[in-house]
Parts: sequence; structure tokens; C-alpha cells
Amino acid sequence: MTDTQRTLGPIELEVIHGTIRAAELEIEAAVERTARSPMIRDQHDYRVALFDAKGRKLTGRSYSAIVEPVFQYFGADDIHPGDVFFWNDPYNSCGGIGHVPDLCTTVPIFLGERLIGFSQVFGHHDDIGGAVPGSLPVHATDSWMEGTMIPPIKLYERGKLNAAAFRIIVRNSRLSEHLAGDLDAEIGAARLGSRRIVALAERYGIDTLEAAFDQILRNTAEVFRREILPKIADGAYTFEDYIEHDGVDEDRLHALRVTMIKTPDRIVLDFTGTDPEAKGPINWALDEAEGRYFRKWLAPTLRSLADSPERAAEIDSNEGVLDVIDVVFPEKGTLITPTFGKPTGMRFFLMLRTLGAFAACLSKATGGRMPADHETIRIWGVTGGRRQEDFYLFREVLGGGSPGRPWADGSDVVHIVPNSKNLPAEFSETRYPILVEELGLKQGSGGPGYHRGGFGYDKRIRVLDECRLISNADRSLLGCYGVNGGKAGENYQVSVIDAEGEETVHPGMSDTVTVPAGATIRVVTTGGGGWGDPLARPVARVVADVQCGLVTESSARHDYGVVLRCEGRIWQADLAATEAQRAGLAKARGIPAMFDRGPYFAALKAAGKVARPEGFPDPDAGWFARPVA
Amino acid sequence: MGLQIAIDTGGTFTDVVAIDRTTGAITAVKTPSTPADPSIGLLDGVRKVLAEVGADDADLDMLLHGSTVATNAVLEHKFAGLGLVVTRGFRHMIEIARQSVPDGYGNSFFWVKPPRLVPLHLVREVPGRMTFEGAEIEPLDEGAVLHAVRELVEDGVRCIGVCLLHAYANDAHERRIGELVRAEFPDVFVSLSSVVLPEYREYERAMTTLIDVLVKPYCKTYLQSAADEIRAKSGDIPFLIMQSNGGVVKHSTAGEKPVTMLLSGPAAGILGSIHMARLAGYKDILTVDVGGTSTDVAIIEDYAPMYTSSSMVESYPVKTPMLDIVTVGSGGGSIAWVDPYGQLKVGPRSAGADPGPICYGRGGTQPTVTDAAIALGRLPSALIGGAIRLDDAAARGAYEDLGARFGLPAEEVAAGALEIAAVNQVFGIRQVTTTRGREPGAYAMVAFGGAGGLFATEVADLLDIRTVVSPPNPGNLCAFGLHVSDVRRDYIRTLVRQQSAADSGEILGAWTELAATGLADIEAEGIAPERIRIQRIADMRYFGEGHEVQVTIPEGLAGEAALAHLWDDFHRVHDQTFGFHYRDKQDVEIVNLRIQAIGEQSRPRIQADSTARAPAAPFGSRRAYWRRTGWVDCPLYRRTELALGQSVSGPAIVEEYGSTVVVAESWSVRADPFGNRILEKSL
Repeated sequence: MTDTQRTLGPIELEVIHGTIRAAELEIEAAVERTARSPMIRDQHDYRVALFDAKGRKLTGRSYSAIVEPVFQYFGADDIHPGDVFFWNDPYNSCGGIGHVPDLCTTVPIFLGERLIGFSQVFGHHDDIGGAVPGSLPVHATDSWMEGTMIPPIKLYERGKLNAAAFRIIVRNSRLSEHLAGDLDAEIGAARLGSRRIVALAERYGIDTLEAAFDQILRNTAEVFRREILPKIADGAYTFEDYIEHDGVDEDRLHALRVTMIKTPDRIVLDFTGTDPEAKGPINWALDEAEGRYFRKWLAPTLRSLADSPERAAEIDSNEGVLDVIDVVFPEKGTLITPTFGKPTGMRFFLMLRTLGAFAACLSKATGGRMPADHETIRIWGVTGGRRQEDFYLFREVLGGGSPGRPWADGSDVVHIVPNSKNLPAEFSETRYPILVEELGLKQGSGGPGYHRGGFGYDKRIRVLDECRLISNADRSLLGCYGVNGGKAGENYQVSVIDAEGEETVHPGMSDTVTVPAGATIRVVTTGGGGWGDPLARPVARVVADVQCGLVTESSARHDYGVVLRCEGRIWQADLAATEAQRAGLAKARGIPAMFDRGPYFAALKAAGKVARPEGFPDPDAGWFARPVA
Repeated sequence: MGLQIAIDTGGTFTDVVAIDRTTGAITAVKTPSTPADPSIGLLDGVRKVLAEVGADDADLDMLLHGSTVATNAVLEHKFAGLGLVVTRGFRHMIEIARQSVPDGYGNSFFWVKPPRLVPLHLVREVPGRMTFEGAEIEPLDEGAVLHAVRELVEDGVRCIGVCLLHAYANDAHERRIGELVRAEFPDVFVSLSSVVLPEYREYERAMTTLIDVLVKPYCKTYLQSAADEIRAKSGDIPFLIMQSNGGVVKHSTAGEKPVTMLLSGPAAGILGSIHMARLAGYKDILTVDVGGTSTDVAIIEDYAPMYTSSSMVESYPVKTPMLDIVTVGSGGGSIAWVDPYGQLKVGPRSAGADPGPICYGRGGTQPTVTDAAIALGRLPSALIGGAIRLDDAAARGAYEDLGARFGLPAEEVAAGALEIAAVNQVFGIRQVTTTRGREPGAYAMVAFGGAGGLFATEVADLLDIRTVVSPPNPGNLCAFGLHVSDVRRDYIRTLVRQQSAADSGEILGAWTELAATGLADIEAEGIAPERIRIQRIADMRYFGEGHEVQVTIPEGLAGEAALAHLWDDFHRVHDQTFGFHYRDKQDVEIVNLRIQAIGEQSRPRIQADSTARAPAAPFGSRRAYWRRTGWVDCPLYRRTELALGQSVSGPAIVEEYGSTVVVAESWSVRADPFGNRILEKSL
């Protein structure tokens, strides 16, 4: 028996699956080694994936990716060895590209003349033109203001560079050298991944390999069916969440609405009722290719229902998830079905809202066993310099507190993108004309709960030279919601404190604020929502938070019902007074609601400013917390 | 008799190798480790090997020691009594860390940040601020310092780490805090970040400083008690400690900065590999140290190991200079199992040393990689000269049970388990080479550790490696490596200067200062000045980048010529490391200046054995199974009997006292005069 005749057995399957996982890591390592944009190198904002010849995603670490544009724009007989496909056009990428700075490179994999798969890398590049440095203008009213759009093209045709296209793309970036280098890095890394798949095909033969691909995808669907779906009660559940501003119109709620229909072996998410597309850059064009990109984006949310966080981290999310999750899009012209040309730069607000709204439906269907909400992507920074030579762009993706969850408090200041790092003060001060005066956690920002939310940043930076402030942030008015009786986390805020100590708060979406030399910029990021009734939180944990200065004595008393006294430096609970205080608070409050969206939302609601279309009742009404076990 | 003894203390066993400096004779023994007080196991080892050699305490000339005990102390999470002093405004520094979440996208929903080394109420801020250029913009408030430390001590703190912003540029405030603490609280252990790691990046520097002070009481105490006992018996002989940078220092030096000895055991293994590979004639090698649970991998080029300053112990960064060793994949004790979905897996769970594989008969019930090798006839049924009987029937039975789950015969599933284990190692090794931009096929593999010879050729085949070196006593290479070490200390200073505006005098002056310190310190280790080498290295980057590469100044270059070399060679190194450069397009920046001060020690001579002897004949044969060819009769050879010039083609099995080397089909094995066995891929 020769190797290539061998059919798929347990050993072949494990070796092939292992090779795919290892190749994914290896492609990532290659991107990080050779890419140039700090957004890719240091903030790790890139994704890689391997696909089979049918365009099914085989790899499982990243949320989502799609090669459908290759088939749609070129067709099966126009894919050749040595081709490199390339695109970044949010309206011509089958939902796979959210905003123009994400440049996507795809390499077809061949064994001889036979197509056996694809290898893909896309990364967030520093600049692809448009109205402001960094290509994320907050006041954009169309796609053309956001940068250069490239529909699917062949950047290489049978190994030959399309030099004209390359020069046009690179010319349209303020940081053209970076861009050219990033493209080389992505292509090189994608090719490395393709070599690993070719080696498998040579070793096992294409039939065995394709049988393994089928089995890998089936196994993933089976994991979700066996470990996750039985924990979700069948039925229909609705939720909505909001983006509070679009950078163009006056502040108002832009609602994402979803109805989750759960049957024994499937989940359908119907987004009918979602608000109309916005004038500003908060749209996300997803309604193509049966929502395959969107479904792969949403499915990993289910991992939070795994038996443990360690098990959750093991669960792959590949094309197999399409068997368990489907979406229904609303009519054309909503936030997630925008008409061509509507701006999309800040679509990461919706990325997190879609995950949060899905998670909230799951909370309803599991008796509150899901994590609360968190918001961890926002970009802030300063740009300055008087001439092209001393032009600088200091940008940082600052995380927020992670959600309280059934098994733990939220963690402080984390980012949803894996391995993304903040900038050390000792680096920033050396590189840019700033002084970091405080790098802290925002006291009390985590939503109170049996497991409270993690804390956000409280970062203060004195600018030593006049500069312009950039803030691309949502959740500056609304907080991240709390679940199962937990309270909402505190919101994002960016402000400038002048030499006299006067503090001026600016909108979360700002990029035209001039900051004079000597002033201090303060950035406070979101706390995670709390999980479970804060009045049930073990007293010792409340005492520890107060002892560490993370929660105030007043919050301990009013949010957690814990009465404290301080002897010397040591805080201690007055247990009798605590019992009375908790009883009093519990009585006044009644059974806590399943969801809490914070004071800003409560005020809007009280003022009658939360409107819904016909047939969409208040999704929070009638849902109450379950007792914490 | 002049005897030098090397002790490698692991978590379970302490390996001891003694070398007679006059005859070159090598003696190895093993003794249990004593984690509560490692000095007990260390001294046991000395006694045991002296008895074995037939020498007494007076014959001991030199004692060398490497260990992982400092790492283990961190892994045990005994963090009580630790406090931290930081610059005002940075109290939450270690809570915040670098905000990064490991592994996959979106894990922030469920991932739980591991506990911090110091709880927040034991972190204190003090006023006082430097700029990145080292200028004071706010004086240190000494009253506030004393107040803060007094409170920490009252709250039970015994070990204090101090990490002030930009202390690498100006250490005056930290030094003053050190003086104040030592004067007022003499019983408190203190580590200053400007001493432990004078390098920019405040979070990593703070963590390294905390790890240092965390292990200080433990390491200092056991090293001192071992030293006292040795001195009482053998007089004032050198007692040298291996550091993670691959060099040794006096025990008292190591005790002052114990963070440098975190991974000293594996570092010694690298030195041993290089030494044996050099004798065998290979300068570019991949070292693959296969233990019970995992495998350590390192890349060596031109006899030189690579260095890193970005290691992690669990989730805690440790940034002192270390040999670049990466732990990957599986080991001999990795368990073959079936997941709930019916998929065959190997590792990451391991039977470890206790209970160990089924065939050891010590209560292991789950089939391991070693059991697979037994079931396939690749290992003998007795180890260590018959001292350990292996239960091959039990191992085979376990694989029969496992095979029944898939309708496969025992040998098929055992061979599959071995193949998966090999592939897992390949994944890890490729991650190491790809991250560093290397192709494994360009290297010879040195396979050692207890399970190093089991499937080395299978791993090599998958990596296109054509040569595998199996050094003598592959299970003791770490202890052996201690014998071929040099004295070495590293010095670093962050000095951020752009090429376009650099003052050569300032850079060279700073280097001269570091070198003078290094020279003095190595002399104080008892090395004559003519045997001391000073290596100058700079961490450099393009202006605007957040990551650096290391550029070395060749020996013999000095002054302006040395600097000119740096500015020029940087582009080449950047290109080699990252695959691109911006020569003539972007300003270059020096970030850190480094000095490696190396004091050469005289090495014991490994005697070549060039005795002509008749080609070895097989002493027997055993049926062994390969997935490609099925069961075949394999000739068995004794390792020591292979003659120079003799080449044995696979499949064959070469057995020895401590470990077994499997020669697969299309490979052959030959001997060299230094005890190496060299496996080569047939054309």
C-alpha cells in the first residue's frame, strides 16, 4: 500500500487537521515577522485563513474570512497557479471587508494543475488615502472620502505582477512604503501557507485530503450541536442595541434589532427591524453570499456556553458553523444592508453590537448564563507636526473592561483582537511629544454584579506641542449592558483639561479638535457590564475591591449593599449593617431586570426617546434575573 | 586528582556529571531533587558521584550548577509578601499589563486574566519623575518613600520591587530608594529595576524586577547553604552558577540577581550540544531536547546560539537576556487518547515521570509515546543495562485496546501515535524557524534528552533535515554542558539616539563605561584579564518602529569605525530578520547598548577514541514495525561497539545504557571518535 492510496483513517485525519492548525499559526508568525504597519505588527489587527477548493474556511482561530469574491469575479476557469487576488472594497467583497484599510490578499493553492484550496491574509494597514491620516474619517458621508476602493483584481496573473495596479494602489497611501511592504508580507505569508497544504496533498493524495476537509467541517458542526445547542432553550428571542452617534447627524440611537429563533439543531438570527443606514461611517455591508461571512463572524459567540473557558478556547470556528447558524437580512438600506457608497469606516461599532445583541438573546434562552457586554475596539490618538518631515500619527487601540460572566469577574482593559498591545509610556514619550501623566484603571467603571465587569482605562497625557485629537469611539453615552441582574459598565469619555484645570468633554467621534501645547488629554474607556445580582456578591470580594481602591465606599454601600468601616488602612465590613442594607435595597428594588443599560439609556427611555417600529416591543420588558446559584 | 562536578537540578531528578581534569574520564549519576531546599539534593549529588569515582572532598576542584528551581518557585505561585513601588500615576501598571488576550479572536469574552504578582493594595506610588533623556522634572519625595515602605512592611511585605518611569535613563531616584530601604528596613529584600533590567518598557521591566525579588530569598538561601558546606569540606573552590544567558557566575553574584538563573538547566544543554556538534563537524544546528512532557528547541548558527530578551514564565514576562530556547510539542510521556468525538490525539497531557508510561510498571494506565515505541519493537524490554525491566506486554495491550476503538491492529495505531507525536514536534519546530525566518532543512539536528533518539529521523524527514547527531549520554547533556561553559555577564543601557542626530562620543562613552564595569566584574569572578572578551551589541530599529534587532560589532573594530559598522550592518540584519529594509530611506535609531563580558574558562578535554576496531556485528535482532513496510527483522547494535568508518543502514536499532537510537529506513548511522552517533539520510 502506498501513501497516496491510503484512505482517511484516524491518524491521517489528526495529522491533516493538526497541519492546518499549525499552518494557520505559521502564517500568522510570517505576517508578524515581515509586515510593517504598526496596526498589524503591534496591534495585531490582521487575520489569516486557509480554505478548500470550494471556498470553505478550514481554519478555526480567526472569526471570519471569505474567498467568495474570487468565484464571483473570476470564475472557476480563470483561477491559475501564480495568481494573487486582491481587494479591499466593502461593497464588492461578499461581506468580507468591512472598511477600506483592511487589504485582503488571496492565493489559490494548486497541486499541479488542480485547484485544491486558497490561502488568505488580510490586515489593517496604516493608510489607504481618504480625508484624514489613518483612513478613518469620522465625518465621512460617502465611501470615497474614506480612501481608495479596490474591487477584486489579480495583483499577480500566473506569477506576473500587475505593476500598474500595484503603483496605483501604493500611490494612494500617505505611507506608501509601508503599504508596499505590507502587501509583500501578506503575499509571502499566504504562499507559505499554501506550501503546507500542497505537502499534505502530495503525502496523502487529494481524495484523502478532501475527505479530511469534509470531516473537519462536520466535526466542528458536531461540537456546536453536542456541547452548545442543548444548553439553549428552543424558542424565539428578541434584542436590540444601539450606536449612539454616526459622526454626521446629531446624536440619536441607531438600533440593531435581532430575533433569534432556536430549534434543536439550528439557530436563525433575523435582523429585520434594524434601523435605516446612517449618513455617517457606522454602516457595515454584509448582505451578500448568503451571509456566509456574517454567520462565521457571529457563531464564535456561542463558545461562551462551553463547559469552561479553557474548553471555549479550544473550539474551532470554521465553515462547519454554517450548519448550525443562519441569518435573515432586513430589506436593502439598513445599517447592515447599506446601499452602495454609504460610509463604513467605523463598522467596528456594529461588529461588537452584533456580538452583544446575539449574546443577549442567548442570555434570555439560557437563564442568563452568558457574559454581559463589553466594548474593546476604539482608536484614539494625536496627530501633529508642522511639515511633512515632522508629521506624526500616534494611534492606540485602547481596550476596555471585559464582561462579568457566570464564572468570573470581567478582566480589566482587554482587547478583543488577540495579542494586541497598548503602547508603553516609555516608548510613547520617546517617540512623540507627549508626557504620560497617568496610566490607570477608571475607578468604579466596571458594572456592579455578582461578578462585576472589568475596569476601563483612565489615561492622561500631557501634550508638549499643539496637535489634533483623534477619537473613533462608540459607547461614549450608553454603557455596556449588564446581564442577569448585573449593572451596566461606565461609558467612554475623551476630554481636554487646559492649563487652568478646566475640563472640556468632546464627542467620542472626533478628529478636528485642536489641543494646545501644555493641555492634558484624558481618555476613559468603557467598563464591562456586570453579571448577576450585586447584592449577592460575596462581601469579602467587595471589601477587597474597596481595599484596592477600585470601588468606592459609596458604591459598596449603594450598589453592593456592603457597609464598610476603615481602621487604619484596613477596610472591614460591618456584617450586621450590611445584612440590613442589602435587605433594604433588595426590598426597594424588587427582582432585578435581566438587562441594565445604564443611566443615559434610562433617561432617554423615561423621556420617551426610544422609538421602535410597529411590531417590535421593548425587548427588555418582562425579563428578570435568575437567582445566582 | 582534580575533579570538577556539574549538577543539573531538575524538578524530579538531579543529574550529576563529574570530569577528571587529568584523564578526561566522565562519570554520571542521578539522585532525587529536593525542591524544599535544593541544596540537599545538590550536596547528595556531590557525595554520590565522589563515591562512584572513588574520590574524596579534597579532590573537588570546581563545582558547577544549573537548575530550573527558580522557575519552579515562580510556577508554584507563592507570591505572598511581595510589594511594588512605582512612579505616581502608574499604580495600576501591572493590573493593566499590555492589555493583550492570548489565542483566538474574541476570547476576551471568556478569558480570565491570571492573578497579578502583587495585589493592588500592596502597590505604592511615590512622587518624583524623570524624562526619557534622564532629566529630573520632579524631585523624589523621600518622606513619601519612607511612608510607603513603612506601610508595606506593616502590611506583611518582605520583598519589594522598585520600578520608576525612565529609571533606565537615570537611576538616581531608584538608587536613593534602595539606600533608604536598606538603612531603615535591613531585613527587607529589595530589587531595583535599574539594576535588574535597565531597559525601556515599564511593564516588562517591573515584572522582571518582581520575579527577581520574588525568588531572591529562596535562591540566595539555598546557594549560600550549599556554598558554606562545600567550603567547609573542600575549601575555597569555585562554585559557579549557570544563568539563562548560557554563562556562569559565582554563586554570590547569582544570588544577588537570581532572575538571571531562571532557565539555566536547558541553557547548559545548548552549550553541551554545541560542543559535541563542533567535534562532529557541524556548525549550524537545531537542538531538539526531548523530555518526558515536552521538547525544547533552539537554533544554533556558526556555533553561536541565538539570544532573546522576551521570555515568559507562565503569563509573566521576563526580559533578561536568555538563550533563545522554545518549548514545543510532545515528549516521551505524552499520552495517546481519544477525544469525545472519536478523534485520536497525542498530548498535550503527559504521564510525566510519575507514574510514567505503562511499560515502566509504576501505575501508569494511559498509553504514551514511549509505550508505542515498545509496542512497535523499537525499544528494548529492559533499560539502563537491565536495571529497569519494561513491561512490553502491557504497553502492547494498551494499544490493542486503543486500536479496537478504530478497528485497527495495535501496531497500526501505535505507529500512528508515534507519527502524530513526530508531526506535533514538527509543528513546534516550524513555528520556531518561521518566526525567525529560517528553513530547517539547512541545519543538522542534535537530538538529545531521554527520548531524543526515538523518532528523530521521522521528525527530520518531515523537515527535510538530512543529518541527526546523537551525542554521547544524551540524557545527561545538560549537566555535561555546564562543564564547557564560560563566565558571562550581560549589561544593558537604554540610550535612544537617531543616526541623523547622534553624538558618537556620547554613544561610545556610554559603551566604554559599560565595558569597564563588565571587565571589573569578570575579573572579580577570578578570570585573568587576558582571557576576558567584551562583545558590543546594539538593539536598533528604524525610527518609528516598536521592535528592535540586535547588531553586533565584530571584534577588532573600535571607535568611529565600530559605529559606522553598526549604522551600516543594521540594514542587513533587519532584512535578514524581517525580510525588508529601508536603507537610505528612513532614519535609524539605536535603542539599547549591550555588553556581553565573557571570561573564558579552560575546558576539560574530551578524548578522541580513534582506536581501530573490527566493525560491529549485530548482537541480535528484534521484529519492529514501520507504517510503510510493516513488521521487519531489525538488527540490534550496541552503541559502543560501532567502529569508526562503519556505516549501518536502517532499519536498525542502536542500544545503549541510557537511551536508544532508532535508525529508520533510508537512514544510516556511523560513529565519530568523540562518542557521537551520526545518522544520515540515504540518497
